[in-house]
Amino acid sequence: MSPGRVSALQAALAAEHAAIYGYGAAGAHLTGSSRAAAAQYWTGHRQARDALTTMIAALRATPVAALAFYDLPFAVHDTATAKALAARLEDDVTAAYLTIVAVSDQRLRTFGAMAMQAAAGRAAYWRGSTQAFPGLPPTPSH
Amino acid sequence: MRRRSLLAASAATLPLLLATAGCRSSDLFAGPDPLGGRPPLPHDTVVLEAAITAEAGLISLYKSAISDIGHRGRGLTPLLAQHEEHLIQLRARLVVPAGASASESSSGSSSPSASVSAPAAGGRPAGPSAGSSAGSSGGPSAGAAGRDPVAGLRAAERESAATLVRRLATVQPALAQLLASIAASDATHVTALSSL
Repeated sequence: MSPGRVSALQAALAAEHAAIYGYGAAGAHLTGSSRAAAAQYWTGHRQARDALTTMIAALRATPVAALAFYDLPFAVHDTATAKALAARLEDDVTAAYLTIVAVSDQRLRTFGAMAMQAAAGRAAYWRGSTQAFPGLPPTPSH
Repeated sequence: MRRRSLLAASAATLPLLLATAGCRSSDLFAGPDPLGGRPPLPHDTVVLEAAITAEAGLISLYKSAISDIGHRGRGLTPLLAQHEEHLIQLRARLVVPAGASASESSSGSSSPSASVSAPAAGGRPAGPSAGSSAGSSGGPSAGAAGRDPVAGLRAAERESAATLVRRLATVQPALAQLLASIAASDATHVTALSSL
């Protein structure tokens, strides 16, 4: 069963909102090239947010708004935890775009797949390693 | 004797009755036409077979590269392990309907029980440009390796990611998601290979 276009796009938008917030928290604990990367990725997530907002509005739906506050999955207090948070945010974004890949609209599928590649690449940068199945839920066989 | 004659007469006249009624035998009997040959494979199966063949090709390229470059090839092992995981998952989805046969090419060059001998964690991506992916059509080929095996792998990974994205457009949602995830993994390999 394919998810609806609007609900899939809304899920991606919600993940982008969370990433924008999360990068703000992570960036405060990063320096040098890591901080520069965080700034670049934060800008990218803002651009993705704006693009998704436009796409959802074009479908005559109201884009989900950002929350005022997001619970971070763990406390961020140094470089290591900041990088771990950034990787986690990108994992969540990758998984959200995976929902778009399941819609019946072929152009949206391609859009979601390309966004997954970008997010998986950023997650790999922060993690320092690649994954076999970015975006898919972990299973015993994965 | 009389009963046998009646049965024989019924068998002989049935096609005539069907013909006069404008019916063909296929209208009455459901199921595959025995004269129709093997039914075509479902589209998803065809796509899966192509993906399996391509994945097996990538694995062969990695194994060749690892044997060619020796010590430097150790960094390729985690990426090879991830491709072996891809192949296992793709093969797990392959269901060939009765009456049809999967092409021999889908058996690939690796065994179905290809084991993952390295940790799931993969190579080390290089930097902020990670994840960018573009590519041309077609699957990986031995010729892509060229003179520098790692450069050949990079080109093959880029090509694989692009091909998978094209393939996922027309398949069922669950398979599309698997192909998208593998494509994303391949795209991260491009960057990881740049740092070797």
